[in-house]
Amino acid sequence: MAVTVAVTVPAAARRHGGPLVRILLSVGVLVVLVVLWQLATMTWKSPFFPEPLRIFANIPKVLTVDSAGGSTSPFFTDVLASIGRMLAGYVLGCAWGVAAGSVLGRWRAARDYTSPIVEFLRSVPATAVLPIFILLFGLGQGMQIAFIAWGVSWFVLINTASGVASIHKTLIDVGRAFRLSPAKQFFGLVLPSAAPKIFAGLRIGLTAAMILIVTSEFLGATNGIGFQLIQTQRRFQLVDMWSWMLVIAILGYLLNTVLELIEARALRWHAGSRR
Amino acid sequence: MPGPADDFPHDDNLDTEYFMTDTPLLQVTDLTHSYGSHLILGGISFDVMPGEFVSIVGPSGAGKTTLLRALSGLMMPSGGSVRFDGEPVTGVPAAMAMVFQDYSRSLPPWLSVEKNVTFPLTGLSKAEARDRAHESLAAVGLLGHESKYPWELSGGMQQRVAIARALAYRPRLLLMDEPFASVDAQTRADLEDLVLNLKQQFDITTVFVTHDIEESVYLADRVLVLSKSPALLVEAIDVPIPMPRDQITTKELDEFVHLRGRVARLIRAQSDSAAA
Repeated sequence: MAVTVAVTVPAAARRHGGPLVRILLSVGVLVVLVVLWQLATMTWKSPFFPEPLRIFANIPKVLTVDSAGGSTSPFFTDVLASIGRMLAGYVLGCAWGVAAGSVLGRWRAARDYTSPIVEFLRSVPATAVLPIFILLFGLGQGMQIAFIAWGVSWFVLINTASGVASIHKTLIDVGRAFRLSPAKQFFGLVLPSAAPKIFAGLRIGLTAAMILIVTSEFLGATNGIGFQLIQTQRRFQLVDMWSWMLVIAILGYLLNTVLELIEARALRWHAGSRR
Repeated sequence: MPGPADDFPHDDNLDTEYFMTDTPLLQVTDLTHSYGSHLILGGISFDVMPGEFVSIVGPSGAGKTTLLRALSGLMMPSGGSVRFDGEPVTGVPAAMAMVFQDYSRSLPPWLSVEKNVTFPLTGLSKAEARDRAHESLAAVGLLGHESKYPWELSGGMQQRVAIARALAYRPRLLLMDEPFASVDAQTRADLEDLVLNLKQQFDITTVFVTHDIEESVYLADRVLVLSKSPALLVEAIDVPIPMPRDQITTKELDEFVHLRGRVARLIRAQSDSAAA
């Protein structure tokens, strides 16, 4: 983009500040909000809204000390257990979404025939069908993994189908003209060209997976971050409850950051080719 | 001495030199194609001899691209036959390569220039494929750009990558579908000369589709002029101007001027009858 500005001020700096300035500003905004939160809770003392500094300081405790009095560390029994189930469901859902979405994307007739069903099923909030999953799989890990996979798969499926269907005809011709094997045409040309849309689906899917793991652990679970959240709430351990909320938020943020890094690496070409 | 008889044997061990002069590499017989009730190709027949450079020119919308897709085996025509090296074309033959008009679409943007050249190559080691790519990139004047991405290059350079990819594939027949239609005039002239050079250097039989009359004459040994849709072969015009050709001096020759005029008149007659 050609931007004409005074020689002494680079365009980027004029618009948003340099990278350092931008980081400082975003951290600054965060700090200001936390300070306001702290001041508000100190002014209007309420047991339901503990001071944020207490909530932060309490995080190591909830991660290491079992609130129910056991000797195990919740970081292992709950946090890692939740991450494990969530990733299992997420990976399954993504794999199925990419596979089914690819078939629908490449195969026009299948897309036309299934589109009413797909549109209907994906419009049903995943949380609304949780009872069905409990009926089918009982309570426990299997149900949670299947439930997350279900919820995640729709976002990935829809995006994959759309990305695969919109591959340019010339690229298909290139694959055929150079006699690439069907596998090489698919994995070498079709999937990479759909990758930007697939990644968009993976990102929404990850957000959905976070929502679904917490929800699925509200009901009949014996461990997990959602279980801890609901348990501490029921026992009126309000600072603990707030700490678990923050743990979940931080976890979601970290997982998103990891996915963004993977995406940035896999789609390096995409940003450049669109300039 | 075996002669071209009715029971013409298809045997690879035959002395190919002997048949070289009278065995076409590409034989197109009464080719027709229609989309629904709309006839695009109205019955086209021609041969392309080994080593020949044939350009196909016609009014826009004449079905040139449809014709090329049928020749390549990318599309099955409704009627007639295409034979490549004596064999009926049912899919794209192994010894055929294509350069498409839309270079920005035909070069996967996630592959480097080198990978763009090597990805269609099979049966070669990594090192062999890389050597082949470097050789082809050198032939099109792009050595030193291997690790760049297509979108970092100008349009003309991208089309050079597509040409290098076709060269590295070592085809016997090169099909080019209006390859220079979307580059500027100077780049176009450079690319035309590049194609002529490569043709001399590698002796690749080429079928070149264009809507540019001057280009069709400048490049070719023979120009096939198509009618408006449904496309018929109006005339096949030999271009007996010797190689090497030059953008300025060749185009000043009386012969060139005459041939260009003749092709242009044929095309204009098509547009006039369309307007009438």
